Amino acid sequence: MNIKRIGIFVAILLSAGAFVQAQQASSLRINEIMVVNETNFQDDYGMHNAWVELFNTSYGTVNVAGCFLTDDRNNPKKYSIPKGDILTQIKPRQHLLFWADNQPWRGTFHLSFTLDPNKENYIALYNTDGTTLIDEVTIPAGMLPDHSWARTFDGKDGWEMRGTTVSSNEYWYVTPSTNNITLDTNEKIEKFERHDSVGIGMTVTAMGVVFTALILLYLFFRVIGVISVKMSARNAMKAHGITDMEEAKEKGFGSRSGEEFAAIAMAMHEMQEDVHDIEDMVLTINKVKRTYSPWSSKIYTLTELPRK
Amino acid sequence: MGEFVSFIGDNLTTFWQYTGFANAAFGNFVMILVGICFIYLAIAKEFEPMLLIPIGFGMLVGNIPFNLEAGLKVGIYEEGSVLNILYQGVTSGWYPPLIFLGIGAMTDFSALISNPKLMLIGAAAQFGIFGAYTIALWMGFDPSQAGAIGIIGGADGPTAIFLSSKLAPNLMGAIAVSAYSYMALVPVIQPPIMRWLTGKKERLIRMKPPRAVSHTEKVIFPVIGLLLTGFLVPSGLPLLGMLFFGNLLKESGVTRRLANTAANPLIDVITMLLGLTVGASTQASQFLTWNSVRIFALGAFSFVIATTAGVLFVKFFNLFLKQGNKINPLIGNAGVSAVPDSARISQVVGLEYDSTNYLLMHAMGPNVAGVIGSAVAAGILLGFLG
Repeated sequence: MNIKRIGIFVAILLSAGAFVQAQQASSLRINEIMVVNETNFQDDYGMHNAWVELFNTSYGTVNVAGCFLTDDRNNPKKYSIPKGDILTQIKPRQHLLFWADNQPWRGTFHLSFTLDPNKENYIALYNTDGTTLIDEVTIPAGMLPDHSWARTFDGKDGWEMRGTTVSSNEYWYVTPSTNNITLDTNEKIEKFERHDSVGIGMTVTAMGVVFTALILLYLFFRVIGVISVKMSARNAMKAHGITDMEEAKEKGFGSRSGEEFAAIAMAMHEMQEDVHDIEDMVLTINKVKRTYSPWSSKIYTLTELPRK
Repeated sequence: MGEFVSFIGDNLTTFWQYTGFANAAFGNFVMILVGICFIYLAIAKEFEPMLLIPIGFGMLVGNIPFNLEAGLKVGIYEEGSVLNILYQGVTSGWYPPLIFLGIGAMTDFSALISNPKLMLIGAAAQFGIFGAYTIALWMGFDPSQAGAIGIIGGADGPTAIFLSSKLAPNLMGAIAVSAYSYMALVPVIQPPIMRWLTGKKERLIRMKPPRAVSHTEKVIFPVIGLLLTGFLVPSGLPLLGMLFFGNLLKESGVTRRLANTAANPLIDVITMLLGLTVGASTQASQFLTWNSVRIFALGAFSFVIATTAGVLFVKFFNLFLKQGNKINPLIGNAGVSAVPDSARISQVVGLEYDSTNYLLMHAMGPNVAGVIGSAVAAGILLGFLG
């Protein structure tokens, strides 16, 4: 029996652990890719190579070690991101850049494949098991030099091509290892300032939610209360050998107040603990010597806190 | 010899520059006086001594002036100082959830479970938060600051600290002190409003004694409470999660040691650290500002609205209830989550009009519902404005 219980417990723990692991890696996204790098970002060898940027959408650090990057749909395990390098940890809402130079011996962040500007390029990120797809993207053929294929907003759906020259779109720049869009305002706050300067909208919405939460609790416990009263009435009927519901209702089975039980419990306590017919003390007129004085008694010294 | 005397003289001059007397500003003395006043109120008048003594003493600690340029690492705002390390529980917002754990382990939700309609009073009293939010916007605070100030109306110190540390860290000292001060002043603020808004007949309403609640119901409550409120407002999870977790420790009956620790030593330790560091954070240079004065005014206003909303809601609710099921509006004030003070006030005011009408257990229902309500409201504000 014990072994069975332990087995179930371990199985639950393991499945929970696996879920946590999956949940962490699943917050990664392929965020921006440059296929032809002529004058853009340099790697740590001073070379201009194609690059792939990953983004951690979560607010917790994610270690990408052990995950797989590939450009081949039939080979998800093409490049295994090495373990044991602390730099593979991506901090909350931060980025990590990999160089697609087909020179993996140059270090953790150099992939075992390159990107070809003359055809569509497929990039996928797989979880540590090599079978669970986390994210994939297909970059259109004919990418211009020093242009990137990027998500409009970090980690969100919607891709666009970005370059290095100013266009009508103010966010058109290539942004390796940094946010695709730099927000210098708090959109939420601005929205409230614009549409709800008096606070009525907030009051109505928030009070609506507060009432909804407590009404849901109310409804649930109303039902639970009815069931509980019925069950305790049934138990009381069984104990008293009564089968007639009406009679049980008359006697108030199941709906007795807590005060009644408290009074009964108090009476029982008094009977068992405090009320004595025979006291065990001895009355005497002789002087009783005590072995302590106020000077040696802890009661009168430092252990006592001052009382008002 | 002369050189030695000059050396001693230089040393004394340097020492003087390090003393509090040389660095004192007028504001420090004002805050020290406020701190002494808090300690006096706590000891002589017994106004929330558990809160006002640590906060009052913290004000003394935080307002002893020192040479800021000496790099002594003693001030609460100096990185790496002992006070600064203790203060991180406030700035990072992990003291309040631990307090909620203790509150959960101390709270008996029986009154609420036996009469669940009382939950709605706890919801109605949260109008205080949004009334203050609206006025704060009108006074020129931005929405996140207004949200942090409004939460004072929830009458819940830990919630106020939790939310202000996220939405308006620069106003946290004033908000925390304001919330705790008005919680201590609940016996002064609430009774006149309760008397003014209720009629003689209403004050005499006798409510049915609450039915006995089974152990199963008590165990189900924290689990379902967490699931329902958590799914609706995940941003309130740190507070709601800990509150219901503490309650499950208490009600499960099999984790008494854990429940006792949460309800006694743990909450005591955190209360001391929280009170002391919040008090110490009121350094005159940071605290004595026009904003603090406005926050205090808004705090008082939010308590008045919360009490009014609670009492009026019960009167409104009574219109739909059958004779015999009606609720005494004197428990409406208990919707603010100052546990158990506001419930105690319902009892005291109720006894003034009928010396055999005990409202305490009935008032505990909306009182603990108010704790849930204010945590939910804090979660909503954090979700919208965070």
